[in-house]
Amino acid sequence: MRRAALFVTLALFAWLVWDTGADPVRLARGVPWILDFLRRMLPPDLHVLPSALKGALVTVEIALLGTMVAAAVALPLGVVSARNVAPPALFVPSRVVLNFFRSVDTLVYALIFVAAVGLGPFPGVLAVVAYTTTSLAKLYSEAIEGIDPGPVDAITATGAGRLQILRYGVLPQVLPLFLSYVLYRLETNIRAATVLGFVGAGGIGFYLQTYLRMIDYPAASTTLLVTIIMVMVIDTLSSRLRAHLV
Amino acid sequence: MIEVAGLRVVLPPAVIAVDHVDLSIAPGEFVVILGRSGSGKTTFLRAINRLVEPTAGVVRVAGRAVTGADAAALRAARRQIGMVFQQFNLVRRASVLDNVLAGRLGYVPSLPSLFGRFPDADRALALECLAQVGLDHLAARRADTLSGGEQQRVAIARALAQSPAVILADEPTASLDPALTADIMGVLRAINAERGLTLVVSQHQLETALAYATRIVGFRAGRVTFDGPPADVTPAVVTAIYGESR
Repeated sequence: MRRAALFVTLALFAWLVWDTGADPVRLARGVPWILDFLRRMLPPDLHVLPSALKGALVTVEIALLGTMVAAAVALPLGVVSARNVAPPALFVPSRVVLNFFRSVDTLVYALIFVAAVGLGPFPGVLAVVAYTTTSLAKLYSEAIEGIDPGPVDAITATGAGRLQILRYGVLPQVLPLFLSYVLYRLETNIRAATVLGFVGAGGIGFYLQTYLRMIDYPAASTTLLVTIIMVMVIDTLSSRLRAHLV
Repeated sequence: MIEVAGLRVVLPPAVIAVDHVDLSIAPGEFVVILGRSGSGKTTFLRAINRLVEPTAGVVRVAGRAVTGADAAALRAARRQIGMVFQQFNLVRRASVLDNVLAGRLGYVPSLPSLFGRFPDADRALALECLAQVGLDHLAARRADTLSGGEQQRVAIARALAQSPAVILADEPTASLDPALTADIMGVLRAINAERGLTLVVSQHQLETALAYATRIVGFRAGRVTFDGPPADVTPAVVTAIYGESR
């Protein structure tokens, strides 16, 4: 059994290497080109710093607004997808729909929304909302399924109605988890939003792509550095907040 | 006060937890359901307010039908049945007062309660119930900062806040040490004596049962094997309830 598994894994690996044309020699030959690329990026052109910062701000705005809207929209979806609070007639179809929409990445949604509402940050926000809603709804529903049923029993026994049971038996147990998931999603959305500009959906990615196209590598490197610093700052802030929650 | 006729509860997949139980409990009685763990005590208590759905039989509490009641009638029946649990089942992150206020959920207007708003009269009543269990000075504390004995007192206050006709207590002392057992049983006895509340308390400890009950109902394998005053509990009765091994 173990031997067969090993053989299958090796065979798969070999086929993958062959089919993707993965070739260490080719990579080694490419190294000088990478070094040349890096050399031409230095020193960064700080004249474009204002526009890079402006782009970064828009990227943060896209991720923040998109995450906020998704965090709210995902709430009812998370509840109806949780096995222990929703009837099967609700959670089974709800899960199928969520899984369907979650298989599409933010960037693909961005392409669709740029075509629908035009260029700019707005289709970016819509793309973030579309992906984050479904992924948060899934995380929410899993958190709800993991709660201690005891308080729910106790609130049910008082004669409380369905919504009251959710509010007093379920919500207090899952709220810190929900907030932590939202912050985690915000971190990943900042990263996802940096490339949204590549397809015309606003933010710092637009500048990065423009400079690369103009072969203005020093300007591109400034933009890239701003992106890296922005992601690191948001990650640090967000994970500190999350540490306080759970 | 509590009328149970032909009660039968089959738990999935096919465990007969309660097997044709008839029981009539008068107002003001302090009934202890005595039996080993797994004898059906918990399921019996949970069937009285339909936290567990009975398979067959009729339950009436304080003149209201519990079995066969629709959602609204069931909530009305539940709010006059306070319940205390082995694991306290408090909402750990909420304040002590908010936990007691939850006992009012069956009475207060639904929409304001979802925003955490309760009428002043209900807040006053909740504080009064906390005073009855001697914990009004801890009202603002978070529930999970209290000791086990204190948490069970808060749970009793929550049941009292329902202005109930009866209180069901499922092994209320099984998670507490012996000193606290006397403490909690004493609180229950005071409620029974001062308010004339009907109490149904499950216990696996014989000595505790005999010390507090006005009536003992012995459960074994989901059936009633004894029903009478503590004075009638002879060694033969004990054997009938617990089996030979004791």
